[in-house]
Amino acid sequence: MNVIEINNLTKYYGKERGIIDVSFNVEEKEIFAFIGPNGAGKSTTLRTLLALIYPTSGSAKIFGKDCIKHGPEIKKEIGYLPSEVFYYDKMKVIDLLNYSASFYQKDCGKRIKELTEIMDLDLHKNIDDLSFGNKKKVGIVQGLLHDPKLIILDEPTSGLDPLMQQKFFELLQEENKKGATILFSSHILGEVQRLCDRVAIIKEGKIIQLEKISALQENNYKKIKVETTANMDEDYFNIEGVSNLEVKQNIISFLFRGNINSIMKKISEIEIINVWIEEPDLEEIFLHYYEKGA
Amino acid sequence: MNMFLHELKVYRKSTIAWTLALVALVILFLSMFPSISKEAESFKKLLEGFPEALRVAIGLSVENIGSILGFYSYIFLYISLVGAVQAMILGMSIVSKEIREKTADFLLTKPVTRTQILTSKILAAFTSIVFTNVFYIVAATAMASVVETKEYSIKTFLLLSLTLFFLQLIFLALGIIVSVVVPRIKSVLSISLGTVFAFFIMGAVASTTGDTAVRYITPFQYFDFAYIVQNSSYEYPFMIAAIGFIAVAITASYFVYSKRDIHAL
Repeated sequence: MNVIEINNLTKYYGKERGIIDVSFNVEEKEIFAFIGPNGAGKSTTLRTLLALIYPTSGSAKIFGKDCIKHGPEIKKEIGYLPSEVFYYDKMKVIDLLNYSASFYQKDCGKRIKELTEIMDLDLHKNIDDLSFGNKKKVGIVQGLLHDPKLIILDEPTSGLDPLMQQKFFELLQEENKKGATILFSSHILGEVQRLCDRVAIIKEGKIIQLEKISALQENNYKKIKVETTANMDEDYFNIEGVSNLEVKQNIISFLFRGNINSIMKKISEIEIINVWIEEPDLEEIFLHYYEKGA
Repeated sequence: MNMFLHELKVYRKSTIAWTLALVALVILFLSMFPSISKEAESFKKLLEGFPEALRVAIGLSVENIGSILGFYSYIFLYISLVGAVQAMILGMSIVSKEIREKTADFLLTKPVTRTQILTSKILAAFTSIVFTNVFYIVAATAMASVVETKEYSIKTFLLLSLTLFFLQLIFLALGIIVSVVVPRIKSVLSISLGTVFAFFIMGAVASTTGDTAVRYITPFQYFDFAYIVQNSSYEYPFMIAAIGFIAVAITASYFVYSKRDIHAL
């Protein structure tokens, strides 16, 4: 079952491009990442799903209902964490959380307590006095306190220290195990790899790639580094399937996708001191998506 | 209900401050009344020395300055100026504050419609204005009965005082429509003060021309105090204009607000 269905969603801000023809689905209980550089249209897509902005054309459904028409109804089951969290700064943390909880017809007191303990948050401080990271934590608790079925996060980890980020991911994974679907955007690809099942890559307002994380990693990409005895002709490895080619004196590194034998033959034909062949991380795979035409 | 109470709380402090300011102002003004009415004759002479155009512009009718109603309708111009600023700031804040302080994302991702949000906000602002007026009228009426020993029409006094409420509602509506139409308002205070003073000055100019049509332009001219004192009633065409303006502004605000894009920062 699809929790989110996006069909040809397009948004222009006046004449300025927001997103063009974005279509993808997020399945139930999936962790889905939405990746792209700043200004690519990630926030635009997420904000349209939440009916904060209205699409120019196209539509999106959440839980099978139109996200604009049935916005208030479907938001009962959505938890949202905006990229920059700012809250009524004259309130105490607990007052804000209670205010947030008051929008949902259920008792969230217990969950607030649990979450603030996990997030190590002082309930009785003024929001004004909190650091950016702590405000972010308030945002996280605020987004999860009503046990939403769909969690939407816009750049969730910016501002969190690595330890807190780890805790936060565990929390998300736990929510996911309990049945929550998660959609989040990020420009830090390392995060995606650890957390999500599928990924959509957006560039200049258009979806350019939609794949399973496992497929991406298994896509026979190899990260190869060769140290040679003598300086090499720069174009020696410039064959089909090679990308991100870098030559630094006698150290050559590149990504390779294709028949592994062809590259092994190429390597065997020259004198080498050392060779490293690794699984590349996603960041390196995606780099060339961004660089193309950029 | 939760939003209404939250909004009310947000504006509680400023509403109390404005109310105290208005109460202090009317007490201060009315406390001057005994000495002015005692010296009414010489005061009149002094005022007659002013050019007539100036007297008309500041709403001063010399003959009445010695009576409480005449004096009150003169000082009331300044009270309504303060009240208008309060209402305009309040009206402009209720929507623009969410954008400026970046809390719009919080509220608009909750399971509520934009109409519900705006309704809660408008009702909270309305309640604040009612609060201010109740305290103001009680204070003004009490003070008037202290300083004026002669008989005077309480009804007319209340009618005059109530114009503060109507004027505030007009400026509240104006503030709301401005705040939903203008995408990002940096300074509520400067826009509010500018708008209110512009209308105030227009009002002063309009009263010197004596042209009825011009009076429709500025809310400060919707209530002619001399007319109210004489007839113990409001001028109905202007009441209708006021109600019409409020209705149109509020309806348009709902329409614009529910169609508006809430941008990220």
